[in-house]
Order: sequence, then structure tokens, then C-alpha cells
Amino acid sequence: MKKEILQLLFKRILTSLIVLFLLISFIFFLLRISPGDPSLKFVSPDLSPKLASKIRDSFNLNSSLISQYKQFIINLIQGNFGVSYTYRIPVISVIKDFLPFTLIFSSISFLIQIFVGFLLALISVRRINGVFDKTVLRLSLIAYAIPSFVLGVSLILVFSSMLNVVPSSGLSSFDAGSFSFFAKISDYIIHLILPVVTLSLSGVAVYYKYLRQNLEEVYDNSFVLSLRANGFTEKEIIRKHVLPNAINPLISVAGVELGILFSGALVTEVIFGLPGMGRLTVNAILSRDYPLVVGCTVISGVLVILSNLAADLIKIRFNKRLIKGMLN
Amino acid sequence: MSIKRISFVVLFLLIAFLSSCNKEKPSHSNRVVIGIESDIQSTNPLFSYTVDEGNISELLYLSLIQFGWNSNEGELIPEPMLAKDWQWNKDSTSVTFDLRNDVYWSDGVQFTAKDIVFSFDLYSDPQVQSSRYGMFKDFYSDSSSHIDLDKTFIVENPFKITINIKKGVLPDFNDFAIPIIPQHVYDNIDRKNLISAEKEMKPVTDGAFILSKWEKNQAIILRANKKSFLTKPSGPQEIIFKVVPEYSSRITQLRRGEIDLMEDIEAGDVAQLRNDSNLKIFPLLGRDYDYAAWNNIDPDTYRKTKRITPNKLFGDEKVREAFTYAINRQGIVNNFLNDMGQVAIGPVSPIFKNSLDTLLNPLPYDPEMAKKILASDGWKDVNQDGVLEKGNLKLAFTFYIPGGNPRREYAATVIKNDLKKIGVDIRIESLEPQVFFQRMFAHEFDAWMAGWSVPLPLDLKPFWYSDLKNTPLNISGYQSKAVDLLLNQIEKTKSPPYRKQLYREFQELVYKDNPMTFLYWVDNIIAYNTRIKDINITPLGAVYHCWNWTVNN
Repeated sequence: MKKEILQLLFKRILTSLIVLFLLISFIFFLLRISPGDPSLKFVSPDLSPKLASKIRDSFNLNSSLISQYKQFIINLIQGNFGVSYTYRIPVISVIKDFLPFTLIFSSISFLIQIFVGFLLALISVRRINGVFDKTVLRLSLIAYAIPSFVLGVSLILVFSSMLNVVPSSGLSSFDAGSFSFFAKISDYIIHLILPVVTLSLSGVAVYYKYLRQNLEEVYDNSFVLSLRANGFTEKEIIRKHVLPNAINPLISVAGVELGILFSGALVTEVIFGLPGMGRLTVNAILSRDYPLVVGCTVISGVLVILSNLAADLIKIRFNKRLIKGMLN
Repeated sequence: MSIKRISFVVLFLLIAFLSSCNKEKPSHSNRVVIGIESDIQSTNPLFSYTVDEGNISELLYLSLIQFGWNSNEGELIPEPMLAKDWQWNKDSTSVTFDLRNDVYWSDGVQFTAKDIVFSFDLYSDPQVQSSRYGMFKDFYSDSSSHIDLDKTFIVENPFKITINIKKGVLPDFNDFAIPIIPQHVYDNIDRKNLISAEKEMKPVTDGAFILSKWEKNQAIILRANKKSFLTKPSGPQEIIFKVVPEYSSRITQLRRGEIDLMEDIEAGDVAQLRNDSNLKIFPLLGRDYDYAAWNNIDPDTYRKTKRITPNKLFGDEKVREAFTYAINRQGIVNNFLNDMGQVAIGPVSPIFKNSLDTLLNPLPYDPEMAKKILASDGWKDVNQDGVLEKGNLKLAFTFYIPGGNPRREYAATVIKNDLKKIGVDIRIESLEPQVFFQRMFAHEFDAWMAGWSVPLPLDLKPFWYSDLKNTPLNISGYQSKAVDLLLNQIEKTKSPPYRKQLYREFQELVYKDNPMTFLYWVDNIIAYNTRIKDINITPLGAVYHCWNWTVNN
């Protein structure tokens, strides 16, 4: 088994490297053939036209596309993504400022989505077509249908503007530096309540719907009836037999969703003024900061690949027979 | 443990944790929070490319001289800052500055005249790529625009310096109003890498404020420099530039008192904000205008051959004049700007009272006059399809606008509808801003809409001089030898009344030629909390000289 897992890891790493290389190359050429010019920011009545020309030279944008690509690949092999045109520091250093927040924020939101979705689905499935089940089912549809910008702004209006119980933007208070450890943590939590709710609500609905449907399908199988006839309790049936069968498809969805979450939550970050990868990536695209766009793409790509790999490994843990299919 | 139990424990812990951790509120006095849309990239004035970067660096670093605003004349007034006093020589080719001897950098080193020489050296060095690079036209410099230090500066003593400028040029105080940076900090850094290296350094400053903390994409926190000669006990002790990217979130925070000052408020929000007794609204007469450009020259021919030939549709000024008559500009000002702006007559903002030709009136909205002008120029609807023709030409074209700007989208729709009434068929095409501006600067459009911000002090040559190679902002390709002559004279004249006369002649010529349709000047609407007192908002900016404010707790 260990050998097979190692084989799977090796195979995945190899294919992931090829996928990443193709992705980076595609982005490299796509950005450069797309209209737009990174030095446009420096064309202004308040700046000399000579400045824009100097900056263009320093970005090496005047050399041929092929020589730019060669240089880019050489740098990449050395682990160097280049220097951001906007921040004027290495791309890795820029990403370092934004990635930790996104990882923490996305992980919290992901755990909440899974936990709450799971909990609601379990309660629902025990009382199929009951009041709780019907209510949550309808509410989950509404939660899924509300766009996050509407939800975010509405939450700010109610909880920040009208009730004044939580701050409307930012990650911490200006004075957080002088707070005690616990007060600092509580300050972060208070600032993150609305963004986490905004980001998580639709995910909760997705996981709830997905798991509820799977649980219901498995519950309807004849083996459940046979287990009941053999005197197993409902708790045992759910925990030992229904859940392992129902959870597998959910893990695949969760792997993809987590990867997407790690790429940044643009709308939530913009509404609540949070320093995440979503805002960084979009600003890099809008300002044609080519090295930074490539850097963000690589990070997102790696995180998506890792999330999917993690999902596959978890699935194998539940069902060891799956590894053969994955290896083939 | 069952799921039910786990969820109870988690919920209990969360509630217990949050209720036990009350928000600590440390005492802070005289704090002002300014809402900004995006983070800055540098606090160093060498690399202040945006308005916010300029505002912040101006609070951290002192300039040789500063400016005040004479609202009666509409002019900048040079005032002492690091320089206590100055004297020009007889032929205005050199100026001697007496410097303050009570200014210290935040690391304790005293400011001297050497810092001034070093700063001009860095600002003009092409390797550095500073925001002022290429701007020192009046100084002795080499072919790469790097100032010749030996010819230009004479350090008489640590607190007295003479600066020589070229013979025959008009001295411009703007050349001296640069924030000075410390030589002892930046002297040994490779200039090519200075832009990256300075990001890793703790700023050493001498301004009215000190950088206390910079939380990337969150806030830039400045605290008053108690050692500065500018700060006063009643002034703000802390200025925070809070990054709130979303406009409606900024407005919410302004109303809640989380933000004390905000610029660029949309006219539609003014009525609601006026109801808030804690807020004061200040519409600052603008130096930003929107225009509808009708390319005077043929863009394809110019791009391919650099030859200037008249545009087949708009080369004749009669067509451009008719378009200006046909567009209801006052309607846009009334309906979209809620009168927080005014119809533009030409490229001189009404804030420049001394240079503005007040005898000129905007062409009225008169579609009938527009039709007559076009008819007299030979445009007729021969095939009765509602669109005018002249020979094989049809008065139909694409009108490009940058996307994401509701004001311009509204104005473009008004323009389309108004021009349709006189038999002009336009198709609006909205482009992503990067794409739009790249194509605009590449002279790819026949007709488009954009805006300019008129620089302070007033300088019109970059927009209107005929030499398109050296005047990259004259994108509509306006050609006038008479205007070129006037702009050259304005650059050289030392007499203010004569300069005023020249500006008036310039405006009359532009008014007659209608190189584009000047649409409207847009007010910069500023809202601030009434606890800020003694605020003096001028075209120099809302936060300019904020150390003079008084702040009530």
C-alpha cells in the first residue's frame, strides 16, 4: 500500500509539474499578446514622458517575446519569478505579504462550510421531510442564490451600520499593537465575523445540499434495512455504514472548492478591505504587472493541485480500492 | 464524542471567548482617519507616482519651499519651508536659499545643504526612475537629463546654498518644491536598485509626521513628529490613511465616524451626507475635465507614416463646432453631477482666475444651430436614412470610452442621443481602461471620451503644442501655429500681466478652433467630520498642510 501511495505521489507530482509549466507558459504569452502596457501608469501630465520610456526599458519590455520568455524560464528554474512592476520588490516577497491571510481566512471558511453543512445535513437526514429539513432546504437555496456582494453589503448595513456590533472593514483595529494577546485574537475574530459569514454561507448551502442528497440516497439502500433488521442502532448505521458511503463524492468537491478558496475571495476581500490573494491577483492583472500575475497563477495552481491531491488521499483512506483507478 | 457534543463545545468556547475578550480601547487623542481607495507602494517622495503617495510623502518629508494658494488670483504662492528666505540675482539665473538650522532627521542627524544637492542629484538621475525624472528642464543637465551638479549648486555653508539655472528660461518655483531626502541614508545604495532597496529600509524623515506603522493593504499610520517646527499641540497627533477599496464601504464608515475625511464623493451621495450633522461637505472646484475628442488628424496615416493629414470626418472645425452645439453639456452637469461641476469652455480651469478668459461663454445647447452648421458644410441626409452624408462619407463612427466610469458612461449616452438628433450615428464601445488608454496613446481612435487633470501650476504646452512627437498628450492632434507661438511666449514671459494676456489669446484661439468638445469640470467633493477644525481645502489638496488642523476629541 505504501509503495502504491508513493507511486501515486510521484505520478501526481510529475503531471502537476507539466501542467504548471504549460500553465505558466500560456499565461506568459497570453499576457504579452493581450492589449495593455505596464508603463501606462507613468504617462501623466504630472510626469515626464521620458520617465515612462525609462521604465519600459527597465521592465525589459522592448526586447523580443522569445528572448523575454528565455529569460523568464532561466529565472524560473532558479526559483526567481522576477520583480513586481508595481511593488518593485521580488514577486515572492509580495506574495508572502498576502498569502498567509488567504490561507488562514480560506481555511477557517472551509472548515465552517464543511462543519455546518455536515451538521445540518446529518440533522436533516434523520428527519427527512420534517419541518427542520424543509426549512433548511429552502434557506439553503436562498443562501446559495444570494450573490456575495449583496450579502456582504447587507451584513455591513445591518451589523455595522444599524446595530454597530462589528467593524465594517479591515483585519484589525489601529490600536491592536497595544492590545493583550487575547484581546488581539478577539479583535481579529470580531473583524473576521462578517467576511467569514459572507464567504462561507453559499459553501455551507452547497455542502449541505450535496451531503443531504448523498445521505438520503445511501439511506434508501437495502443494506440499511438489513442492518436495521440485524439490530444495529440508527447511530451505528449512520456512523459506520451510511457516512463512509455518502462522504466520498463530497471529498472530491471539497478538494476543488478548497483550491478555489485558496486562489482568493475577490468580492469578500474588496467589500471588507482585506489583504488577500484575490485582490492582489486582480490588481496585478488590471495594472499589467506580468511577473506578479505569473507568480499568483503559480501559487493558485500549486494550491489547487495540492488540495486535489489531499482530497484523493483522504478518499483512499476511506476506500483503499480507489488507488488502483487513480494509478491507471 | 458525538457531533452534537462537539458542536456544543465549539459554540460554547466561541461565545465564552468573545464575551471574555472585551475590545480594548486605548486612549488616543487627536486622531484623524482618512479613507483611501488603494494602498500606496512607497512613502518615499522619490517614488510618489500617485496622489495618495504624494500626500503621504509630503507629510513625512519637508520640501525646500512649499506652496500656498492665492484664491483671489488663482495662483500658487511660494512660501518658506526648509528655506527660510531666498534672493534672486539680477538676471534671475541664480537663487540663494538661507536654510533652517533647526531641522533634524528622525535618526538624529542634522539636515544640511548637502541633502539638497543630493536630492536633486537623485531625482534627476535616470537610473533612479524618480517621479520627477525629466522635469528639471530649467537646470543645467546632460543629455540624459541628469542635473550637472557642479554647474548648478554652490554650497556656501551648511545652511546656505545657491542654485544656478539656465540663462533665458523663466524661473519656476515648482522646480524647487521637491521633498528633500537624507544623503547619509541613501548615499551608499546602488542607484539602480534604490527603488527596491528602499522598501526594506525604515524611513528616515524630517516632516511634520513620522511613519508609525504600515499595514499593507490596511492602513498607513503616521504620528506627529513632536520635534518638528510645524507641529502644534492642538493639531492632529495621528493621521491614519485607511485603505477601503469599496466606495460604499467608505461612505458607510464616513457616516459611522470610522473615517473622518474622504475625497471623490459621488454627487448622488451628497444630499444624504448633508443630512448628517457630523459631516461637512466641501465641493472643491475642479481641475479635472472630461472631453469628447474628435480626432483632428487622420489616425491611420499618422500611425503609419507620422504624416499629419486632416481627419476625414472631423478635420474641419465646423463639424467639431456643430457637435459642441449639439451636446447638452449643461444637462449632464445638472442631472449627473447635481450641479457639482460646470460646463467647460476650454482647457483652463476656473480655479486659475488670473489666467481664465472670463469673456468667453460656453456654446449653448442648440441642435438647430448644429444642423445649420453641418448643412453649410455640405452634410445632407441624401438617402433619408436619418444619417448625414457628404459625398461618399457618412457621419457615422465608433465612440470609444474607458469602462468602469459611470459618469463617462452616462455622458456618452447623452452624446449618442444628442448627436442622433442632428443626424450623426455613433456606436459607443466601452473598453477595459488599460486597453483603452494604450490604444488612445497609440492614436488608434477617431472619436473617444476621456479626461485630463490640469497640472498645478498651469502648464498647457504638453496638451496643445503641435509637435506630436514631443507632445504625447496632444492626442487629438490639434495643429495651430498661432497657438504654438503663444505657448512658447507663455513659457518665456516674466511679466504676469503679459502672461495673462497671452493665456487669454490662447483660450480665444482654442475656443474658435474647437479642437474637441470640452464637456464639464468636475468638482472634487470632499466630506469631513466636523471635529476637524481650521481645515483649509485648496486645489493643493484636502490633506495638504494638515498639521495646521485643530482636532476635537
